[in-house]
Amino acid sequence: MNMNNYFEEIGLWPRDSNNIASRYVLGFVISLLCTLGAYFLVMGHVFSADLLLASVIVIALVQVIVQLEFFLHLGTGLSARARLIAFGVAIFIIGILVAGSLWIMYNLNQRMMPSMEQMEQYMNDQVGF
Amino acid sequence: MTNETLAQFPEEAKNEDSAVVFGFWMYLMGDFILFAGLFATYAVLRNNTFGGPAGSAIFNLPFVLIETLVLLTSSFTCGLSLLAARKGEARRVVGWLIATVVLGLSFAALEISEFTRLVMAGNGPQRSGFLSAYFTLVEVHGLHVLIGCLWVVALIVAISIRGLTRSNMRKLALWSLFWHFLEIVWIFIFVIVYLLGVMYP
Repeated sequence: MNMNNYFEEIGLWPRDSNNIASRYVLGFVISLLCTLGAYFLVMGHVFSADLLLASVIVIALVQVIVQLEFFLHLGTGLSARARLIAFGVAIFIIGILVAGSLWIMYNLNQRMMPSMEQMEQYMNDQVGF
Repeated sequence: MTNETLAQFPEEAKNEDSAVVFGFWMYLMGDFILFAGLFATYAVLRNNTFGGPAGSAIFNLPFVLIETLVLLTSSFTCGLSLLAARKGEARRVVGWLIATVVLGLSFAALEISEFTRLVMAGNGPQRSGFLSAYFTLVEVHGLHVLIGCLWVVALIVAISIRGLTRSNMRKLALWSLFWHFLEIVWIFIFVIVYLLGVMYP
């Protein structure tokens, strides 16, 4: 194990890391474009609301994937498969956590706060006012 | 461990260090889930402004863009320090690490000034559920950045004294994962909290 390819040997970097410098530069440039692109789309009100939301989410996902691949080197290197599986499990748990919280709390909000008409209806029907 | 920079390592050392990298990756996934919990809390409490200001009224988007670019650039200089480490150029590694810690501390300073502005205007975390969730989420990320800065200062000292030894290289590898991970969490904060916050008052 030589220090010159230490990062490859421990699985941080891909095996053939000849183009590793260009990977970092490419990741940085794409991230920069994504950040500025999303910012100016929102500030400039270029698109309608729905299209704007969709494009901002797509840009964010592109940037996250680019950084995972080019900075964190997910998907390449020694333990790439194990790391991908751990990542997938984390995403699975995060999906349940976030979607579940929003679903339950949104439902709860609706149940906890009836409108004025609903309350009057309830009083008429059940209590006899 | 004398002059390891030129030495050949046995196979066990390689297996040990790659296990450490994978273990650190598992920690990062745990941290990812912690942040997801804070994001879920924020998403639930987003509209509970309790008569206080909504996000669109208090967020300063050009300021946040500068914060984002500072953190992104620090992620890049972190990568450059690893590239220098591969070539065995300890002085250049230290140079890029100093650049990274300066950028990281600038990010923290910008964030603290933003929080100070909000609290001074009476929009502190006690103002509403929305602001509690906002401060918790963004401050936990900011705390991670500060810990990352402390870590890199320790790395700068260690590399200056002992050079690019195996143990320093391993610390550098782990810290780079941590730092790039924080940048990814920030993308979510930038988009979900700030951009969507301004789009949907």
